[in-house]
Amino acid sequence: MQLPETQVAVLRAADAQSQRDVTDIASEVGEQPQAVARAAFELEERGLVDLGERTEAEVTLTGEGEDYAADGLPELALYEAALAAGAAEEPVSLGRLIGEAGLDGDAVDIALANFARKGYGTVDSGDVTVDADADLESDAELQALETLAAGDAVDDEAVLDQLDRRGLIDRDERTVRSVTLTGDGVTALMEGVEAAETVDRLTPELLTSGEWETVEFTDYNVEADADDIEPGRKHALREMADRVKDVLVGMGFQEMQGPTVDADFWIHDCLFMPQDHPARTHWDRFAIENPGKIDDVPDDIVDRVKTAHSDGVGEDGEGYHSPWDEDFARQLALRGHTTSLTARHLAGEALGDLEPPQRFFSVEKAYRNDELDATHLLEFFQIEGWVMAEELSVRDLMGTFTEFYEQFGITDLEFKPTYNPYTEPSFELFGRHPETGELIEIGNSGIFRPEMLEPLEVDCDVMAWGLALERLMMLATGAEDIRDVHGTLVDLEYLRTEEVIY
Amino acid sequence: MPVVNVDPDELRELTDQRDKSEDDLLDDMFGLGLEFEGETEDGDLKVEFEPDRLDWLSIEGIARALRYYYGEDRGVAIPSTNDPEWTIEVEETPEQRPYVTGAVVRDVDLSDGVLESILQLQEKLHATMGRGRAKGAIGIHDMTMLKGAPAKDGAEKSIRYTSMSPDERFVPLESDEEMTPAEVLDAHHMGSDYADLVAGMDRYPAIYDDIGLFSFPPVINGRRTEVTEDSRDLLIEMTGTDQWTVDHMLNIVCYALSARGGRLERVEISYDEDAPGEYAGHTLDRPDLATKTKTVTHDRIETVLGVGFDEETIVDCAERSGLDVRVEENYEFEIPPYRVDVLHPVDVIDDIGRVYGFNELGPRYPDVATVGTRHERSRLEDAVRETLVGLGFEDLLNFYMTNERENFERLGVEPGTDVVGGGEPVTIIEPYSEAYTMLRTWALPSVMQVLENNTHRSYPQHLAEIGLAACVDESENTNVAEHRTVSLAMADPEASYEDVRARLQALTGRFDAELETPATEHPSFIPGRCAAVVIDGESVGVVGEVHPEVIVGHDIEVPVVAAEFRLDALQ
Repeated sequence: MQLPETQVAVLRAADAQSQRDVTDIASEVGEQPQAVARAAFELEERGLVDLGERTEAEVTLTGEGEDYAADGLPELALYEAALAAGAAEEPVSLGRLIGEAGLDGDAVDIALANFARKGYGTVDSGDVTVDADADLESDAELQALETLAAGDAVDDEAVLDQLDRRGLIDRDERTVRSVTLTGDGVTALMEGVEAAETVDRLTPELLTSGEWETVEFTDYNVEADADDIEPGRKHALREMADRVKDVLVGMGFQEMQGPTVDADFWIHDCLFMPQDHPARTHWDRFAIENPGKIDDVPDDIVDRVKTAHSDGVGEDGEGYHSPWDEDFARQLALRGHTTSLTARHLAGEALGDLEPPQRFFSVEKAYRNDELDATHLLEFFQIEGWVMAEELSVRDLMGTFTEFYEQFGITDLEFKPTYNPYTEPSFELFGRHPETGELIEIGNSGIFRPEMLEPLEVDCDVMAWGLALERLMMLATGAEDIRDVHGTLVDLEYLRTEEVIY
Repeated sequence: MPVVNVDPDELRELTDQRDKSEDDLLDDMFGLGLEFEGETEDGDLKVEFEPDRLDWLSIEGIARALRYYYGEDRGVAIPSTNDPEWTIEVEETPEQRPYVTGAVVRDVDLSDGVLESILQLQEKLHATMGRGRAKGAIGIHDMTMLKGAPAKDGAEKSIRYTSMSPDERFVPLESDEEMTPAEVLDAHHMGSDYADLVAGMDRYPAIYDDIGLFSFPPVINGRRTEVTEDSRDLLIEMTGTDQWTVDHMLNIVCYALSARGGRLERVEISYDEDAPGEYAGHTLDRPDLATKTKTVTHDRIETVLGVGFDEETIVDCAERSGLDVRVEENYEFEIPPYRVDVLHPVDVIDDIGRVYGFNELGPRYPDVATVGTRHERSRLEDAVRETLVGLGFEDLLNFYMTNERENFERLGVEPGTDVVGGGEPVTIIEPYSEAYTMLRTWALPSVMQVLENNTHRSYPQHLAEIGLAACVDESENTNVAEHRTVSLAMADPEASYEDVRARLQALTGRFDAELETPATEHPSFIPGRCAAVVIDGESVGVVGEVHPEVIVGHDIEVPVVAAEFRLDALQ
């Protein structure tokens, strides 16, 4: 009969008359006890051996116990130091002994407690006296520790209890398995058993030849860590952007694209931002030096935008009391918000004239000369969304955002009235942080003003909102500093190990 | 955003809400758009709001809004004004600063923090509506120190807004000695901050009374007319570049002083026939406390707010916003003269919403059906990114902005040459930081920087980025050609040209594009190990082994092979 090598060894080591412990067989045949146990189970299934089982008390030393077995008990160190210092004759101060006995930390209390318990002497008001006749050689606890450390058993239950109380040993029960040869086992041995081959790797040849049925596979250490591999993966901020795009497409929004470097006309003037608005000063934006200006902006739109700025729109409309200069409007800049895309779409420049209803979005970069800190970058992604319909109310706006933010676990939205030059009513959105429960600002929104829509010849309602993707990511992932996620200072370790967003 | 410090007890007193808890007060303010931002060391509330409601720039203004909200006051209130006694003659003013306005306020008690509150209002108005004093600057003077000159038109007293030579002399605020305007701009600790505002003027703005020069707007007042807590009668003048702006800044100040018990007295502004600006030859009576009217239909209010209203509620909400309403065919709303934010009827609807409480309205998902889609370009970008990730590349996200050294020099590329990355750069005006002076013309320099910053991390490092690059291009409407570029780099002890060629092959193959790589030369790559990336017959990029000089220049100690090409080539 052919059997795997370990089974053959176990079968040969087993005896028909007496039970042999698995651990004994393991040391005899030079295998791991687990491998021997597994072989024994397989042999039992073949009916070649019987398996017995009993429980045994097991005592093992704790880390502290091992230390004491090697270095001695602290109370003995204290005793010896005290004796050497003459504490048998007159009391010696404890402070001095601690140093000499080499005790520190918890060991001091341990030494004192056990020193007194064992009657090696007394400690009174910080002075130590020792009993010169104490017999250290026969300290039962030390002897028991040394015996256990040598791998032998200790039978004295009282001493074991004491060591257990001191936390120097762990007492456990373990199952001991033993093997006895059955009649069939004896027969098989008499007829002869031989070891089948063991193999390391499963090969195509083993599979096709059918040899796999008789070979034994060597055990691998399946618990060990394998070598690290670094799979490619999408950037964490892109993952977040994808998640947002998914949600918006699901809500019926169509994606916008358009220039990053654009004329101030599309970035600001179309949005009814007065030309002397503080956000349009040099320090807040990145204006372009070369090339300086856009070639063309549609004359008719320019005229209407200019009139809206100077005179307002509608019968009771008023404009700004600020200068308006077409040359200034034609200057190029990196867009400070992606609302310039919205302006181009509403004006019919991007996709031609749009008829309501429409929903559009973009998740693209905007550029602002902000102070750099944990939450502000010069380049950031803005989530921009807008809805065009014959009639829209602030309730529609609230309903849309409630739906959107719920997808990211942000609930209990509150709407704080605010001011934007291009929307009215305008709201800052506040929501409940999914983890901290704190009320935090999560976006800015509103219904576009007639002074923005009429010059673009949009004669229905449009509501819009904007939010930094980084801010949403911080909320959704709990990240606290996004400075080095974006840009060349990124740590590859971060990209490789950051938790996936889905 | 503007922040005003408010003493809560004073606010309770001014609003007649002595029993209101601080929390309730703050909640009511939040609903109006006034956000509590914390406390000052003295226990004042820091209240922040958006820069449209400039009439809220003082505690008097915030108290007024709350008095209306609580119904303590209703509708428009116009303070009465006495007939003018004083005239501001305007002649030979600098063309850059032609406009002036003014008012007299009598019997105002400036003790107990009132002076401080008015000075706070003045500074905040300068910062906002006054655009850092450029558009409008406020001067407040103690009238007892002024001596009116006989006016041309027979009025009793006048002062003169005109211009002065840089050699004129006067004693400015916080100084003990006479200085010339030029010295003030150069050396005075308050004056030098505003030197830019009068730079380029031959003669400076000046205001004289019968005694002499007493104000150098918009820079500094003279010490003679300095206002103290004991001052009772004030002359307020404002100069600027726009009459409407200074007139409305004046209205806000007049309302605040009137709320403190001051009696307003009008002032005549008499522009000389030859005065610059659009009011030459005109005489204006200021402050102008006329209201304006906005007409709104009932339907529009209901559409914007999304609920049905009865007329009574609308009238109530309007009056509690400090507006008067006449209900005719439509609603005719009267807007008080301190409101500088109401440009269109929609602003009145916002007022009504705030008082009614926007959060009372309740969300509703709009009943509008549309079809959602991704843009084709962004789908392509994503598909290429997915493929690169599948090929084992780490996806990067770098800045669009960079500088000449990183983009050109460190890669050995000359700007304006005919190689990938050699385009004419789009540059930023007066860059804020040396690190960001232009838009990148290609992405490989950014990827090399990431390699440079990660030499302590394990190799191989296979990195890829799909992102924007730009160069000047006069054939574009914006004169800027922006394109998405794909950049790959493999920093790998084992890497050679073949490895990056293999990945390019795999990528182009997935997009059914034909790849050819004819030999070429590029300063960033090793000669003889560099090729043009030609996709479907068009040369769109470069591939090769990065030149050791570039690798070593980035402190990298393993070979780097790389490729860069236009994303749209895979379209």
